[in-house]
Amino acid sequence: MRGYRALARISAKNALTYRLEFAFALFGVLFQFVALLAVWRVLLADSTTGTGFTWPQMRGYLLVAFASGAVVGLFADFRMSFRIRSGLVALDLIKPVRYQEARFAEVLGGVWIEVLVVLLVGGVTVLVAGAPTWPGGAELALFTASMVLLIPLKFLVVYLCGLASFWTQNYVGVQWARIAIVNLFSGALVPLAYLPGWLASVAAWSPFAGMTSTPGLILIGRATGAQAAFLVAVQLGWVVVLWFGAKLLWRTAVRQLTVNGG
Amino acid sequence: MALVEARQLTKVFRRPDKPPGLAGALRHLATRRYVEKVAVDHVDLSIEAGEAVAYVGPNGAGKSTTVKLLSGILQPTSGEVRIGGLVPQDDRMAVAHRIGVLFGQRTQLWWDLPVADSLAVLRDLYGVDEGTYRKRLKRFDEVLGLDDLMAVTGRKLSLGQRMRADLAAALVHGPEVVYLDEPTIGLDLSVKDRVREFFRELRDEGTTVMLTSHDLADIEGFCRRLVIIDEGRIVFDGDLEAVKDEFARDRILHVHTETRVDPDRVRAVLPGAVVAAGESPLWHSIRFDRFAITAGQAVAAVTGIAAVVDFRIDEPGIEDVIRRVYSGELRLAAETDAETDSEPDVEGSGEPDAVVTAP
Repeated sequence: MRGYRALARISAKNALTYRLEFAFALFGVLFQFVALLAVWRVLLADSTTGTGFTWPQMRGYLLVAFASGAVVGLFADFRMSFRIRSGLVALDLIKPVRYQEARFAEVLGGVWIEVLVVLLVGGVTVLVAGAPTWPGGAELALFTASMVLLIPLKFLVVYLCGLASFWTQNYVGVQWARIAIVNLFSGALVPLAYLPGWLASVAAWSPFAGMTSTPGLILIGRATGAQAAFLVAVQLGWVVVLWFGAKLLWRTAVRQLTVNGG
Repeated sequence: MALVEARQLTKVFRRPDKPPGLAGALRHLATRRYVEKVAVDHVDLSIEAGEAVAYVGPNGAGKSTTVKLLSGILQPTSGEVRIGGLVPQDDRMAVAHRIGVLFGQRTQLWWDLPVADSLAVLRDLYGVDEGTYRKRLKRFDEVLGLDDLMAVTGRKLSLGQRMRADLAAALVHGPEVVYLDEPTIGLDLSVKDRVREFFRELRDEGTTVMLTSHDLADIEGFCRRLVIIDEGRIVFDGDLEAVKDEFARDRILHVHTETRVDPDRVRAVLPGAVVAAGESPLWHSIRFDRFAITAGQAVAAVTGIAAVVDFRIDEPGIEDVIRRVYSGELRLAAETDAETDSEPDVEGSGEPDAVVTAP
């Protein structure tokens, strides 16, 4: 445990060392948030459908999408990918820590600054647009659980993509594909209810739903009671499946590692 | 069982065979062809606790790949490795505590952290208690002069500083087995001396060391056992001194006399010696077999002919032997030994059974 804590401390510190890079990286996510707010405001003003979101609901939902985009270091995967492609991963392999757990510890260490940014942006949104209606009792607990699960879930998606670096030199391509898929299937751009029926059900059952849709819907009260609990259970299920799936993939990946030169 | 055991260890790399040019790249897309390169070829090696082994070979011979196989970084294509009975590829965590690896060309320091913080992280990773950690740091400081580096971040270290800090990083957990892969690459002479001094201390404390280097001065005076690898195969495994005795017998006496000396008169008193003119008419170089003629006899022989003003003796080096092995001029017959006899002579009785088959 002491080793993992030490790794977490480094990234907690690094978050400050690289505050400028960090700010630039978050700026992209923030910009997307603001742009989506503007787009949905116009769309919802024109819309008369009964199943649609109200404007305050959409505001809350998009805030969750922003939080999902902000947490779990935008550096985590780049660093991991770089170490794999350059062969520095050799030095990670001789440390007495499990690779996946070690990377997770590093991500957790950097989460604090991301949470602060999310709280700040949330605070500003509330100041400008007024307080959202918070869900009550059980739903609030489920929302909190879902937001907490979001962190390991996003870590696993990022980590699995990082493992692709064992096979490909083009990590940027993998990252773009990941962002595109996550944006669509998590409901971060368009809530799943607006997607065509078949696509919506595929997305709802995918691990990505837990990365915006599930906590978002619970926050704005569109998923309540047993349905909310079920969504969180699916989210938890995916965390468990991906955690062990990633371990299996790691075993395969590390077996075909080649490190050239000294 | 030896502390480090490799049995028929083999690593085959597969790389795409792309003909040059765009046409070649396209052809590769259509029909993928791969070239297999055997980096390590059925290597048998066993290293007893406390041994210091030099592992040398020309560029691309498979030295670093062997180290990466022995430390569990790479997966062998066939064969197996055991460290204290454990397979490093399977028991990563347990083996990690027992081995230390220094890659001269890669750093394990954190780029953004001061050296002190990097070492503290490693202390926590390996679970070293504070007292032991302090003691080790103090020792590293004595030999490597670490204190000056402690506040410097990884990215700002010069190569020599980085290597000293990396040595500390590789040893902070007090490993039983240390692989040093080109530990003095790019270092200036004074740092090299300090680092070599440190290696000797390590060995004297009983740490098992496997040293890979192109700089043969790293090896002399440090390793007793020499393993030579070429094209992935072990071509020699035996006692370093014995190799020198066998293949580096000649000493050269450079002698400066007051008056001119007739080389034939020297040859007459020193049968078997090769006498050549030196850098000036008053200098001569006499090459002789150090087992047939002592240095004293050689000097005395010249003194009997003319008054000696000055002299110096070149000692044979392992460089010459290894250079001759690399160039293919010399084949050490221990090759067959390494293949058939899986238990190398670790007691150091020092008979490598080496035979020259000169071309």
